[in-house]
Amino acid sequence: MRMYRVLVPLLVLSLAVALGLSGCAPTEEALPIIKIGLNVELTGDIPKVGESCKRAAEMWLEDIEAAGGLEVGGKKYEVELVIEDNESKPESAAAAATKLITQDEVLAIVGPNASKVAIPAGEVCNNLECPMISPWSTNPRTTKDRPWVFRACFLDDFQGPVVARFVTEEFGFTKAAVLYDVASDYPKGLAEFFKQAWEEIHGPGSVVAFESFVTKDRDFSAQLTKIIASGAEFLFLPQYYDEVPLILKQAQELGFDKPVVGSDSWGSAELVKLAGPLCHGCFFSTHYAAAGAKGATKEFIDRYKEKYGEVPDDVAALTWDSVRIVEAAIKAVGEITGDLATDRKAVRDAMAAIKDFQGITGRMTFTEEGDPIKAAVIVRINEAGEFEFYKFVSPE
Amino acid sequence: MTYLLQHVVNALQWGSFYALIALGYSMVYSVLMLFNFAHGDIFMVGAYIGLFVSTGLLLLGTAGAVTLPNWLVLVLTIILGMALTAVVGMLVERVGYRPLRKAPRASAALTGLMIGITFQTLNLALLGAKRRSFPALIETATYQVAGVSITNTKIMIVVISLLLMLALDQFVRRTKWGMAMRAMAVDIFVVPLMGVPINTMAALTFALGSALAAVAGIFFGQAYPVLEPYMGALLGWKAFVAAILGGRGSVLGAALAGFMLGFIEIFVAVVFPSTLRDLIAYSAILLILTFRPYGLFGEPYSARLRL
Amino acid sequence: MTTATQKQPPASDRHRNSTIRAVLSPWREVPFLGWLLGALAAVMLEHSVGSSLALTLGLRRIPVLFGFELMLKAPQHIPGMLVYLVLVYMLPAALVAVATRGLTNALAARLLQSPALSLAVHLVLLYGCMHFWCALSDYRYLVAQLALIAVMLTLSLNVINGYMGEFSCSHPGFMALGAYAASVLTVLLFVEDDVFGPPLLPPTLGPFLFPLALVAGGLVASLGALAVAIPSFRARGDYLGVITLAFTFVVKSLFENLEIVGGPRGFMNQPNWAGLPTVFVWAVVCVAVINNFVRSTFGKALNAVRDGETAAEAMTINTRRTKTVAFLSAAFWAGVAGGLFAHVVGYINPATFGAQKLAEVLAMVYFGGLNSVIGSIAGGLGLTLFSEMLRPLEVWKWVIIPMLLVLVMTRRPTGLIAFREFDALKLLGPRGRWEGGVQDGTAGG
Repeated sequence: MRMYRVLVPLLVLSLAVALGLSGCAPTEEALPIIKIGLNVELTGDIPKVGESCKRAAEMWLEDIEAAGGLEVGGKKYEVELVIEDNESKPESAAAAATKLITQDEVLAIVGPNASKVAIPAGEVCNNLECPMISPWSTNPRTTKDRPWVFRACFLDDFQGPVVARFVTEEFGFTKAAVLYDVASDYPKGLAEFFKQAWEEIHGPGSVVAFESFVTKDRDFSAQLTKIIASGAEFLFLPQYYDEVPLILKQAQELGFDKPVVGSDSWGSAELVKLAGPLCHGCFFSTHYAAAGAKGATKEFIDRYKEKYGEVPDDVAALTWDSVRIVEAAIKAVGEITGDLATDRKAVRDAMAAIKDFQGITGRMTFTEEGDPIKAAVIVRINEAGEFEFYKFVSPE
Repeated sequence: MTYLLQHVVNALQWGSFYALIALGYSMVYSVLMLFNFAHGDIFMVGAYIGLFVSTGLLLLGTAGAVTLPNWLVLVLTIILGMALTAVVGMLVERVGYRPLRKAPRASAALTGLMIGITFQTLNLALLGAKRRSFPALIETATYQVAGVSITNTKIMIVVISLLLMLALDQFVRRTKWGMAMRAMAVDIFVVPLMGVPINTMAALTFALGSALAAVAGIFFGQAYPVLEPYMGALLGWKAFVAAILGGRGSVLGAALAGFMLGFIEIFVAVVFPSTLRDLIAYSAILLILTFRPYGLFGEPYSARLRL
Repeated sequence: MTTATQKQPPASDRHRNSTIRAVLSPWREVPFLGWLLGALAAVMLEHSVGSSLALTLGLRRIPVLFGFELMLKAPQHIPGMLVYLVLVYMLPAALVAVATRGLTNALAARLLQSPALSLAVHLVLLYGCMHFWCALSDYRYLVAQLALIAVMLTLSLNVINGYMGEFSCSHPGFMALGAYAASVLTVLLFVEDDVFGPPLLPPTLGPFLFPLALVAGGLVASLGALAVAIPSFRARGDYLGVITLAFTFVVKSLFENLEIVGGPRGFMNQPNWAGLPTVFVWAVVCVAVINNFVRSTFGKALNAVRDGETAAEAMTINTRRTKTVAFLSAAFWAGVAGGLFAHVVGYINPATFGAQKLAEVLAMVYFGGLNSVIGSIAGGLGLTLFSEMLRPLEVWKWVIIPMLLVLVMTRRPTGLIAFREFDALKLLGPRGRWEGGVQDGTAGG
């Protein structure tokens, strides 16, 4: 039994170290730290989305820190952001959400953004009863039948008809073409809702070209040639800003000179930088117009620009609203008990009860499903490459 | 008719990218018999190097030091880009492939894949997730020939990829180095006995393949000026398809298969609903290889496969 | 000590060596059963005092995955964490394992007389360890589920890439087929869904019929595997690699176009029946079946096909049959793993089963080790755990992991534990001085 001669002193030693350490361990603070989880796409196929989301949230945290903490019921609480990368993979998003809830003990989660990760993460949040708000996920199923899950953006079935109505009223066109990414959730959903709305107005067959490609494709000439040959009067392009410049460029090279209309995924200064004059004069539907913005919106844009050297995109703006909705909900609770289950429930209830939240992307009230009712604006990209307010479209 | 012709022109241009990338891929593949799964990401690195070189050179102009004409910037970008990317390629060979030369080939494929992922994420971590726009060095001009729109970039890319294809084919077939490379393809263990410095040759092969990737990357930047860290990933897999569809040991075949892949992808989208494109295009490739299990232009090797 | 032991050690060193050997010798005598017992003791200890100990050490809570993530995030906690690991895991496990080694060796020897019972006891203990470890945190639970699924995927791919020596890229495709087939079945039969309508069977039956749904998923994947198995008769190596890759693209595109299962929007509402016990049982069955498969004459035939197809043919091996069986069985298990994956995550979309998944599974196979069941288990578990542990590195995680893999591959080109036969009974037998006596008793089993 010679080994006990080694093991026993080892045990004693480590116990002594443990006790010594516990002696100098920091004493528990009087107030709990409020933790907000951020479940974002830092790697994977849409890293820019995750980066913008993280940046906006960090800017918010700076504000809170500058104010010396988040004031709830007269007490100032320290706030911590716990950032997890979900790698744009459903299983990783679920794992990240579980970790944030059970391990990091966050009070609420902001993100994920893309629907393919927001749906599984929403399932986890709903099961483990932690409020979650997705800034950017447009799939109805993210929030459907999930009382704990909210979102800050509007849904495809709202935006599709908005664009259809706008184009009809504005230009009086009757023949539409759509080009979208069939492998991606958001463009496909929007394209289909647009098609449905357009055909409701102009009769079946009025969408003369309904063409698609696959994520990461860089050549759209086959589809564009078909679109040009179809005699469409305009092109609806519910795409992200890394494809839009390429599509615009190739369309021009192939001789397409009709108007192009986009969706809220266009709402990034990157688009203008990448597409240059090609996108001038285009319209798109979105949450807010950066150029000529006033009040809080302008302040947010200016600060973001100063801090990160770029105009915030839609994800950044929606994340900003999301974290502020969470903040408003926590404040409305009025008291942090320190018991997570109670606090989470209180925050969720407060979030569901929010009325007319004045966000930078519009005024929001949540429906039963946790989807915001908010208005859309039509923005025109002017000759200086700025997003100019053009028209206001309110929800029906 | 013009409608169809327009599609042919489109397919030629798109195919020329697959051809250019497959060319570099097949360089390594047909000489060293290695799956170079890092190739797509070397292509990405090449495009980024091209971006930084050309932006730098253009900045020189705006800073008032020396104003270079655009064509000169393009030429310098290509030369510098090729050189720098070749260095990257040699590094990849040294780190990821040389230690594994005697290992199962698939293991080397995995190191390639992992190096590729490292490049992607390193780019993401260092340069941020922002997309970058490649400066337009060629003033785009659109010509209308019999109702078909052709741009000068399209012509240039097709011509350059054809030229490179021929040049490479001549190099592999006519020069002494090319001969050594072909010999290595046949038997990598005997060739050193004939006095061929195998390490130098392997590095050279990688350098050449990577330089080709850089050319592809720079022209890709001209035609599709949005760069992002993952741009090479899918293209790399597709180049793998093209290089092997062409056939083992056939550089020319690889390039032709690249064009073919472009044609298949575009014409499937033309004839069928474009949502079914991948489904039909890759089913076709699956079938082609089922009935021609040695690729389109490859010789049926009886040599034992080292896998 | 490192260099000295290899050459002629000086006298003092030799003395120290003998001390070390004396200390080490009891460890070598601990059978697998002993380690399991030790692990169980450690996990139980964590269960009872882990929380309070963590608090005493100044850690906010029990370190979830061996403290890695906290160490990376808050380096000031490293000493406390190490003490925790030693006190909760290492010391109790070691003490129990060593102290009970007489008992466990005797028990192991006794159990071996009935191999089935021995396996069952070990598996129950193994599951016990996992159960108590995971009971402390939902996060551990999910990670364990995903890791076991990764093991199944890795192992089944190893049958093709390792044992048969082909370069197959079709595993994401098989997985997708299995995942969609199993999900459609369970959702159609047992769940109220807005696409498929009300359940066709009473949902209470669901958990019992769930295995059948998984098997159906596996069979669908096998059926799909015919599309690559048949070309594999003539095409080999690189060409087969492209065929399999094309297969993955085709399957992905197929599901993108199938509106009934949601297209790119994905398919959800899978019932939550794939708990840890279920996944564990399936993983064990998968390991057992594949291990038996590769150790049978069929497995040797696979190796023969890899090392020389013509020669294998000359040795009367039916290469076509061998290849078909290999592809179909690998696809079956990939399909089952896919079905479990779908029910664990509760959502699938075609994009999940693309090139990224392929790179992951390939990495697990080649990292763990070719031609080795143990290697695949290590690869699947290791890489999954590792990628969870490194979460705090955010973007850099995917710089570090591939670089580490390259490092491993250049040192050990066929993977960590390659070309090793996995003999479960040998593993479960007694050790050290207890070993000899029983061996003849098990030779027949």
